[in-house]
Amino acid sequence: MLKKLKDIVRKSSIHVCIVNCGGCNGCDVELVALLSPRYDLEQYGIYVHNNPREADVLLVTGAVTEQWRDNLRRIYAKTPEPKIVVAVGNCPQSGDVFAQEGGRVLAPVSDFIPVDAAIPGCPPRPSEILEAVLTVAPGALAAKGRAQDARKD
Amino acid sequence: MILPIGPIHPGLKEPLRLKLQTQGEKVIKAEIDYGYVHRGIEKIMEGKTWQKCIYLSERICGICSYEHTQTFAETLEIISGVQAPLRAQYLRVITNELDRIQSHLLANSTFFKTLDHETLFMHVLALREYAMDSLELLTGNRVNLGWNVVGGVRMDADERHFNAILENLKKIEDGFDRHVALFEEAPIVALRAKGVGVMTKEEAIKGHAVGPIGRASGLKHDLREEHYTYMDEFDFKPIWRKEGDNYARTLNRLYEVEQSIDLIKQAIENMPKGDIRTPVDIPSGYGEWRNEAPRGEVRYMAETNGDLIKRISIRTPSIMNIDSCARYMLKDVATVADAVSTYASSDPCIACTERVAITDIDTGKSAVKDFFEVK
Amino acid sequence: MSSLIWYIYEFARKTWIDGFFDAKSKEDIAHKPDRFRDFPNVIKENCIGCGSCTASCPSPNAIKLVRDSDNEESTGLIFPVINKSACIRCGFCAEVCPSTPKTLECGENHFIREEFNIIPSKRKYIVDDYLCIRCKKCMDACEVGAIEEIDDRLVVNQSKCISCGKCLETCPVKGAMRGVFVNNLEEQKKIINLTVNTLEKYIESKQDDLIQLGTDKLFLDELKFKPIFDESLTILNDEEVVHEVLEDAINRLKIRIITWDGDNCKKCQMCIPDCPTGAISFDSDNDTIVRDKEKCLRCSICYQTCPFGVIKYFLAKFNLDTNDNDEEVIHISVKASQLAERRA
Repeated sequence: MLKKLKDIVRKSSIHVCIVNCGGCNGCDVELVALLSPRYDLEQYGIYVHNNPREADVLLVTGAVTEQWRDNLRRIYAKTPEPKIVVAVGNCPQSGDVFAQEGGRVLAPVSDFIPVDAAIPGCPPRPSEILEAVLTVAPGALAAKGRAQDARKD
Repeated sequence: MILPIGPIHPGLKEPLRLKLQTQGEKVIKAEIDYGYVHRGIEKIMEGKTWQKCIYLSERICGICSYEHTQTFAETLEIISGVQAPLRAQYLRVITNELDRIQSHLLANSTFFKTLDHETLFMHVLALREYAMDSLELLTGNRVNLGWNVVGGVRMDADERHFNAILENLKKIEDGFDRHVALFEEAPIVALRAKGVGVMTKEEAIKGHAVGPIGRASGLKHDLREEHYTYMDEFDFKPIWRKEGDNYARTLNRLYEVEQSIDLIKQAIENMPKGDIRTPVDIPSGYGEWRNEAPRGEVRYMAETNGDLIKRISIRTPSIMNIDSCARYMLKDVATVADAVSTYASSDPCIACTERVAITDIDTGKSAVKDFFEVK
Repeated sequence: MSSLIWYIYEFARKTWIDGFFDAKSKEDIAHKPDRFRDFPNVIKENCIGCGSCTASCPSPNAIKLVRDSDNEESTGLIFPVINKSACIRCGFCAEVCPSTPKTLECGENHFIREEFNIIPSKRKYIVDDYLCIRCKKCMDACEVGAIEEIDDRLVVNQSKCISCGKCLETCPVKGAMRGVFVNNLEEQKKIINLTVNTLEKYIESKQDDLIQLGTDKLFLDELKFKPIFDESLTILNDEEVVHEVLEDAINRLKIRIITWDGDNCKKCQMCIPDCPTGAISFDSDNDTIVRDKEKCLRCSICYQTCPFGVIKYFLAKFNLDTNDNDEEVIHISVKASQLAERRA
């Protein structure tokens, strides 16, 4: 009973933190657009937080620059369990156009922290981001939460 | 004490560290830490053909991506001595102004968000969606438009597109009257914004402030005045204010949105017929060109070797604006909350800014330095 | 009071209640306009395997050309594969695709067909009219019909050429169809000069060995390629171009060497009037024959004139190859000219 209740709460109230680790800012703009009344992220129970310590979902954008090498791991460590990481856009997945001669990026993000889902696009449309986050985040969070509870027992 | 804000989310989504020196609640001085998004895009461009580089230049900055491609294209047109056809120039103006509208509305909505005025934040962001719709309809993408090519634009537009854009502009204008009134008349924004973060004209000149930030402090300088398309074809006068505080900067941007709507209407009305693209043959040479991006002056200096880019150097407006924000606006601000909103009002775009890494040859350490240190 | 009634009226409406309990984004947020550039759609059957999509893609890992495995009826198809996590959705591949109908479809970008060439390429393909045998194999091989016959000569139409290099593969005459690097001509010239000078200096330093060489013997030597390559890279930093320019220059280079054995000279001065450039002169103060190397054309007339075999004439040829250790080396072979034998 309690477990089910926990599941419902975890699924319906998701706190998101956006971490830009060195991209062109395009994906972040699209994430801000998600807050607008047209897409209205908050009606789905997703609240955009600016603090990794309170977040359930880390939305990582950008292609991991030199300065983020250690900081990204630190941010991930500070996020409380259960947590999932969603890579938004191409930069965290493959480094996009920056992963070629002359670029100073350390993509992909999965070298640093475990990534649960990825949304391709440069940048993805807000509706694509919304769709992906809604399909992945609640289920994954609930599953991770259960696994964590099982470890505690 | 020194109060660090950031690097995640210092009022905006982009990483940057603000170090505020406070005395009680009062902010005396601010320092800015750069370097979180340095990717080395200028170096990537070297040795690539211009056909590829125009897509790379888009990815310097996501908010004002359009202006970068236009400046890149116009720089190479200067080198080759070819000018884009008139219809292409008009289409460029339309896209440029739509991009300016969405950028200014985003900047203002961020400012309202830092004031914790959620209503205006939501309303302004909702208005921005119409501009984004028009951009997507016209060019095929919302952010990285891929619209410009050297020698013109990629696709033609017809009545269908123009009508849809005019319809969207009508919606923006309608909402605009309502929300600007909410902003101008209601005391709540004025209380938090008037007289906060003042930068005088002298300071703006000393800090090399450009764009709406400089214009709000009385620098009557808009590069669109000197651009050949605007000069010959359009009725354009820069908008400027004297106050130099957060309120003036926000209002200046709002009126520029109005002006942009007017420019788009002029462009659609007088749209000439003809080609949209000419072939260009790019010789080896050097060229430079300046343009007015939403945040101010963006300048490209490019050296080509036939079709290849030999060396390119880009100067973006944000670095001057962020630095003048840290030097002049963020001294003697009454509260920390006001400091954050002042920072947001200077419309910083960090992805633009960080392209230079300075390596100390003796120690081998590299760091991204701020504009004044480099100079 | 009236406002209260208004509120009740406002909130009691069905649409409001529906909206309150069933808050959803409207469907139009997922609606994409016609021009929206989604990930390119690949139509395998149209592909001609030219590779212009991979050449034009700004993102390094986005497009790859793959080939189906062969089956009994036909050979496998070549077609591009889009890596979604690297594709930046610029639509440039669909724009440049030269096949009809297009292999790649993306928004409305595949409707763009420019009359002029927009595919980025380092090479320009040209027909060497002197060597061309007009077999027209390249015309058949060209997928886009860029090679045309004008006045009984084959000409590459640059505005149609997609720089796929298929003509180069099919051409039976070496050198008749050429892909030249049109950029950096000055740098290429410098690299060729550097190579010639280095090799010539090296051979000159071996003169003592050459004088001992018999008429029907070969003098073989090896020179490391790496130092020349590295020095050339400082002139032009593009490994592909530099390597090809160097390889071309080295394989074609023939250096003629003239050695002068002053001890045998009888000072008959027969060679002096024969020299076309006046490079040989008699120094009456020291009673010797002087040869000015800068003026010498290496035409071998003095060698043919000299009755005492003072002057010897060698031909050096070069070949770039890999040795047993997989290092690239320049093989040098020098042999004495056979002209004297024939004369005898």
